[in-house]
Amino acid sequence: MKGLLTAFFSSLINLILVLLVAPLFDGLTRKVTAVVQSRKGPPVTQSYMDLMKLLIKEDIEVGESPVMQRFSALLSFAAILSVALLIPMGTSAPLSGYADSILLIYLLTLAGISILLAGLAAGSTYSLVGMSREMMGMMTLEPLMAIAIILSATHVGSLRLDAVFGGAVYGGSHFFWSSILILGVVTFALQAFVGRMPFDVTEAETEIMEGPLVEYSGPKLALFKFTRMAKMFLYTALFLALFVPRIATGYYVVDLIVFLAEQAVLVLLVTVIAATHARYRIDQVVRYYVILFILALLALLLAVVE
Amino acid sequence: MGSHDILNKIREGYGTSITRADIPADNRLLVFVRPDSVKSLANYLFRDLDARYCVGIGIDDRPYSGDFLVVHDFAFDKGNVLFSLIVPVPASNPRIPCISDAIPGANWSEREMRDLVGITAEGCPNPKRLVLPDGWPENLHPLRKDVSWNHVPEDFDDTKTYPFDDPPPGTTVVPFGPFHPTLDEPSHFRLYVEGEFVRGCEYRGFMVHRGIEKLADSVMTYNEIPMLAERICGICGCVHSVTYAQAIEQAAAIQPTPRAEFIRTIMLEIERLHSHALWVGLASHILGFDTLFMQSFRIREPIMWLAEKITGNRKTYALCLIGGVRWDITPDLGTEIRQVLDQLEKEWKGIFDAVKGDRNIMARSKGIGVADKTLVKDFSLLGPVARAAGVNIDVRRDHPYAAYDKVEFSVITQGGGDVWSRIVVRVLEVFESIKIIRQCLEKMPEGPIQAEPTAELPAGRIGTSSVEAPRGEAHHFAITGEGNRPRRWRVRAPTYQNLQGIPAMIKDQRLADMTISLGSIDPCFSCTDRMEIVDLQTGKVRIWNQEEVLRSTLKVKRRRS
Repeated sequence: MKGLLTAFFSSLINLILVLLVAPLFDGLTRKVTAVVQSRKGPPVTQSYMDLMKLLIKEDIEVGESPVMQRFSALLSFAAILSVALLIPMGTSAPLSGYADSILLIYLLTLAGISILLAGLAAGSTYSLVGMSREMMGMMTLEPLMAIAIILSATHVGSLRLDAVFGGAVYGGSHFFWSSILILGVVTFALQAFVGRMPFDVTEAETEIMEGPLVEYSGPKLALFKFTRMAKMFLYTALFLALFVPRIATGYYVVDLIVFLAEQAVLVLLVTVIAATHARYRIDQVVRYYVILFILALLALLLAVVE
Repeated sequence: MGSHDILNKIREGYGTSITRADIPADNRLLVFVRPDSVKSLANYLFRDLDARYCVGIGIDDRPYSGDFLVVHDFAFDKGNVLFSLIVPVPASNPRIPCISDAIPGANWSEREMRDLVGITAEGCPNPKRLVLPDGWPENLHPLRKDVSWNHVPEDFDDTKTYPFDDPPPGTTVVPFGPFHPTLDEPSHFRLYVEGEFVRGCEYRGFMVHRGIEKLADSVMTYNEIPMLAERICGICGCVHSVTYAQAIEQAAAIQPTPRAEFIRTIMLEIERLHSHALWVGLASHILGFDTLFMQSFRIREPIMWLAEKITGNRKTYALCLIGGVRWDITPDLGTEIRQVLDQLEKEWKGIFDAVKGDRNIMARSKGIGVADKTLVKDFSLLGPVARAAGVNIDVRRDHPYAAYDKVEFSVITQGGGDVWSRIVVRVLEVFESIKIIRQCLEKMPEGPIQAEPTAELPAGRIGTSSVEAPRGEAHHFAITGEGNRPRRWRVRAPTYQNLQGIPAMIKDQRLADMTISLGSIDPCFSCTDRMEIVDLQTGKVRIWNQEEVLRSTLKVKRRRS
């Protein structure tokens, strides 16, 4: 019973963290981008205001199948929030006793699929182009994180979240070469996981007018926008959980602050890369993913041998 | 090869078809020929004498000579001659042999002639409507003298749609525009797409045709038109006002004062500076490189302030009058221009260093939107597009005007013919412009800025003028007239030619490269003036007319209430 209560409250904390901090990180991204571009930029709280404004705006439904469009918006929101319950933020993952890494991989993929659904349901030419690009990206990119998680699972010989996030990559029984390799792969893929320049081909405003999201407005657009912000928060958290040792001081608040600070550093890194690159074309993007995918597979093979 | 040599050469083969020839100046040649020989003579000029095709003009000259006139303008870039091939066409049967099967770049001119003046080019490969809206009545030609400038046709048919070609088998139609984030103005490309590849396209533009030429020959007066000409384009307005003024000056043999010529040169180069900075910004934005976009706009801003200080406006300088200019450059302004140029040169070097080694930008622009020398020749592509293909043409050097013959500068060329080469050409041209302005400030003579032409301008004289706009040659043709206004004034903006090359440039390229290929010619639709994409896999084509769109918006509203 006590375990259930702990899980409930720490889940609540994680949800609040995602909901509150993800837009803040987005605001930070915009501010830093503005500074790089010699602009003043919006206040850091702008992303909260944007979301709130979109939530109270009218919802104009212009796509091919409105029911599916509503469902896909809710699905992306639900999937991304569920992911938040499986990732450690300052302390161990809230539902680590109730779920394993397979579920995590599954939920991450679901968040991507909801975008596919959104584009398909909208049915305009541009959203279909965006959808097909998202699909090409998903098939080569999404397996990378799955491989990273499975690789750590093979190190510890368990799929439990605690074990996978408990230092399987860096603090295992001995040194793994495969760890170094997968760290490299995921670092180079982080930019793509969060869908920022030069990998934002799915939305590519100046090419396909935001692609899958072109027919969305109001609350549904708010949910998709939030999912995008939450992705930045969750993938950086996942990166930290997999590759960076947790400083367990015993005080949750201190741990949390350290965790958020580490995240902020990753967010800054992603932002600066995004601000200094032009968008790659879909074929160039997929070629890049495929190279990473092959390296990730090599790492997995290596892990099995080691 | 001067005017006389050219005339002697064509006399050898076409002596019997020439009815009259005028050499109003060393660098101008007007040749009147009979309609039956126009095709072979045009072909001879274009292929054998390697003349560049400028524009075709249809003129309603019935009130004066009783005939329609068709003029094909050519430019001999190596011999500094602007050549007008003038063909009187009988009013009873306004037909002329088509030349656009041999000179593909003449296609738009011939279609425009049919739309606006009602002169049919017989055998035209693509005789569709170009300028007039779909619902405009068939036999009403707005540029004819018997149609008033404010005429509103009562039988305008709203239900008529444009007869687009059938998409090639296996392709899908993807509509690009009329509104798209990378188009600043309405323009419609109907793209035939197979997967991610564009297999062809059809263009429908001229959606905001404003009838500027008609206004000029029926309402405005000589000195009001420069202000109207300036509003043709929001970027290179000064170019059009100078080109117009030069065409009239050339027709009426008026010499602008030397100081005015230097001031024109300075303002034209200031306009090129801001235009190239703007283009580098927009091209980076299309490629998703917003940091470079913002930086180049930041660097551009002082140039805009400078223009405001000199003329009172950031744009639309209201600079030109016939015979001179309206704003003088005081010594104080001269000092400030030098300061701004020094700062700009320093910061632009930063941009150049950032761009020249950027593999990320190269990956997106090398081998993209290629226009080779053949395409440049066929469609008379101009400016940075031609120079990026290694075609060494620049009106400033080839047909000097204003004070360009008194300054030294190099013409930047590249060999790739792709988007990357165009980026390099434009970035480097900024340094040349800075050089030109500095020399002008140094060499500018004192004196009046405006010649005061006192006598009435003679009627019926022909003037042509070319100016190197930031996007390529702007070419104007004018016939002076009665009532203090020209009888006919034809504007050919550089985009008019460059846009005709786009279908060949984007063919078999990826859809993602479409926007930057189009962006790389720096299109100005207001200067000329619709895109739609077709999916090749389903072959589904859905075009909505005005009424359907209107109905669908009402439907949404109804559902909500």
